Amino acid sequence: MPLIEAGRAVRMLDVGNAGGRYPMPDGPFEQVRRTDPDQHRYLLGDHFEGIALEDLGIGAHLTPPRQFVCEDADRLQPVASTSFFPLHSLAVGGLAGAWGAGAPCFVESDFAGFPIGFADLAPHYETVASRIGINGTRDDLWPFLGQLAALQPAVEIDHNGATILGRYERARDKANRRALYLGRPRLAMLTQPLRGRSANRLWDTDFWSDTGGSVYRPSSTVDELRASSRFELVTRKLVVDFVERDGWVEITARDVDTNQLETHRARTLVLGAGTLGTTRVVLRSLARAGARVPIVCNPHTYMPMLNLNQLGKPIRDARHSLAQACMVYAPDGLERPFTVGHIYSYRSLLMFRLMKDTPLPHREGLEILRHLSPNFAVMILQHADHPTPAKYCELAGEKFTVEYASSTSEQAANLGVESAIAKSLLRIRCVKLRAHHAGHATSTHFAGTLPMTDRDEPLTTDRDGKLRGTRAVYVVDGSVFPTLPSKGLTFTMMANANRIATKLARA
Amino acid sequence: MNDTDLRTEARVFGRYLVGEAPSEVLVERYRAANHAIPAVQGDDAVVAYTRQHPWSVSLLDAAAGLVASGSLLRKKLLVMTAIVETTPELATKTEPRVVGLPQLAVRLGVAGVRTAFEVTAGLALSAVVKRRG
Repeated sequence: MPLIEAGRAVRMLDVGNAGGRYPMPDGPFEQVRRTDPDQHRYLLGDHFEGIALEDLGIGAHLTPPRQFVCEDADRLQPVASTSFFPLHSLAVGGLAGAWGAGAPCFVESDFAGFPIGFADLAPHYETVASRIGINGTRDDLWPFLGQLAALQPAVEIDHNGATILGRYERARDKANRRALYLGRPRLAMLTQPLRGRSANRLWDTDFWSDTGGSVYRPSSTVDELRASSRFELVTRKLVVDFVERDGWVEITARDVDTNQLETHRARTLVLGAGTLGTTRVVLRSLARAGARVPIVCNPHTYMPMLNLNQLGKPIRDARHSLAQACMVYAPDGLERPFTVGHIYSYRSLLMFRLMKDTPLPHREGLEILRHLSPNFAVMILQHADHPTPAKYCELAGEKFTVEYASSTSEQAANLGVESAIAKSLLRIRCVKLRAHHAGHATSTHFAGTLPMTDRDEPLTTDRDGKLRGTRAVYVVDGSVFPTLPSKGLTFTMMANANRIATKLARA
Repeated sequence: MNDTDLRTEARVFGRYLVGEAPSEVLVERYRAANHAIPAVQGDDAVVAYTRQHPWSVSLLDAAAGLVASGSLLRKKLLVMTAIVETTPELATKTEPRVVGLPQLAVRLGVAGVRTAFEVTAGLALSAVVKRRG
C-alpha cells in the first residue's frame, strides 16, 4: 500500500486461490441450522472433507469453506519432513484467509533478539490498524498487548467471556498474585464500518462465512489495490527464483496451469510469500544447495476448560465466533517474556468435532456435550519459540525439508507454564479438562528462516528487510522475525511490511 | 462396500443417536459419505454385528470409546453424528441446550449412569463378538 500511495508501480505475482465454493446463507448460525436444508454442503463439504477422522492437529479449525486456503500447497510446494507438517497457503492473502484475527502488538520484551523495537513499528501499527480495523479496549491487558490508539470499540463478548471476565474482576487481586491477567482480546474484526466492510453482525458464522467482511482478510486489501492503475495482480503464478541483473531483478515464475516458465523484471523485488514460500525462493536463488536456515514456530496447545461461572446461566445467542477473552500469564511482569492465551467459546464448530476426542458413547456423548458445551471454553496457547540447531529448513535440489524438535528443557518449560496457568485459572473458577499438545507446525506461525540482524551474515536480512547479498531484494513476511514471542505475529508482520514498504517508497 | 449394508447402518445408527429413524435423505447421505471417506470404508465383525443386532450399538460404542477409540464403528458413528447434526429437522435434538443447575445435574447423572452400564456390558459383548469373528 505505501508503494502504491507513493506513486510506484507494483506487480504482484501470486497463485491466488480464492474461496467461494460453499456460500452460506445470511443469518445467525442457529437460525441457519434450523432452516437451511443444504447446510450439510458448507458444514460438512460436498466430499465430507469437513469430517476429519484423524488426530486434532494441522488445520483443525479449517471448515470446508476455508479449505481453499491450503488448496494446491502440498502439491505445488511439498515439504519433506518427519516432524513438521505445516499448513501453508497459495491463497490470496495466504493463511490469513482462515486466521483467528488475533492482533496484539509486540511490546518491547517481545522484541528480544530483534534489531528493531516497538518504537520502530509504533506508527506502522497505527497505520495498519486504521486500514484494517482492530477492536479492543484499555484494560488490564493494555501493557501486554501494546499501545494502540487506532482501536475500534471492543466487540461484544458472549456469555462465557462475560462470566469469566466478571469473575476475574471480582477476584482480580487473587488472580494477579498468581500472575494471571485477563481482558478483551485485540481482534482484526470491525465493530464499526470501514472502507466498505461492515461491522460484525454477531451471527457466529465467522468460521464459515465472510459476509460483510467484518473479519479482516488480506484479500480485501488486494481488492482495494486492484482499484489503482498502478497495481497489477498476476495470478496463477508461482515464483521460482530471482537473479539480479544490472539495475534490475529478473524473477522467474511458473504458470501453475500450463507449467510454463516466464520471466518478469522489476527494479525491486519484495518477497512476501509466507515464511516457507519465501525461504524456498531465496534458497533456490542464492544457490546455497544444502544450506540450512533456522525456523521457529509457536508450540500450540489447546486447553479445553469448564467455566463453572456459566453453569446454569442463560447463553447469549448473538455473538461472534472468535476469541471472547484474552489471558496473559506473566510471573515476571512486563519486562520478561510472558504467555498469551485466547479463550474461545464452542458452538458453531458443532458437537461432532468434540465427539471425536471424547471416549463417551455417541448417544450419551451428544447429550452430555449439548448440555455442557455452553459452559466450555477453549484456551489456545502459543508458546514462545527460539531457534536451535534442531529446528531448520534446507533445500537440496527440489526437495525442501523442514525438521523441528523441541528440547526436553523447552517442553518442560512449556508444561510448567501450562500447569501454573491451570492452577491460576482455578482462582476464576475455570477448570482445565485436558491439554492437547498439537503437532509441530499446528500454530501455523512460522518465522525465523531469514532473520533480521545487525550481523552481516548470509541468508539474513538487515533491519530494513533487505536480503543480504542482494542489492534490491527485500523480505516482508515472517521469515525475518528471529524469534517468536507467545503472540500471534500477523499484525506485527503487517506493521513491519508497512515499515519496509514506506522506506522503499521514500528511497 | 455393500450399499445395502450401508443403508442398514444409517438406519440403525440414526435411530441410536437421535431416537428416530433417519429420513431417506440422511440414509443416502450416510451411504455417500462412506464412499467418500477412506477411513470408514470396509467392514468388520463389530460393525456387522450392529447391523444384525441394533440393540447392541450403544454397548459396543461405549466399549469402543474406552478401548478402541479408532475403531471402524466409532468412525462410522462419528460420520452419522455429523450428518444428523447438520440436518435442520434434527437441530433441536443436537443443538446446545441450557438448563438450570439441578436439571443439568440430573441429566448428566443419568447419562453417566447409562454410560457406565453400557461400558461394562459393552466390554463383555465386544469380547464375544470379536471371538465369533
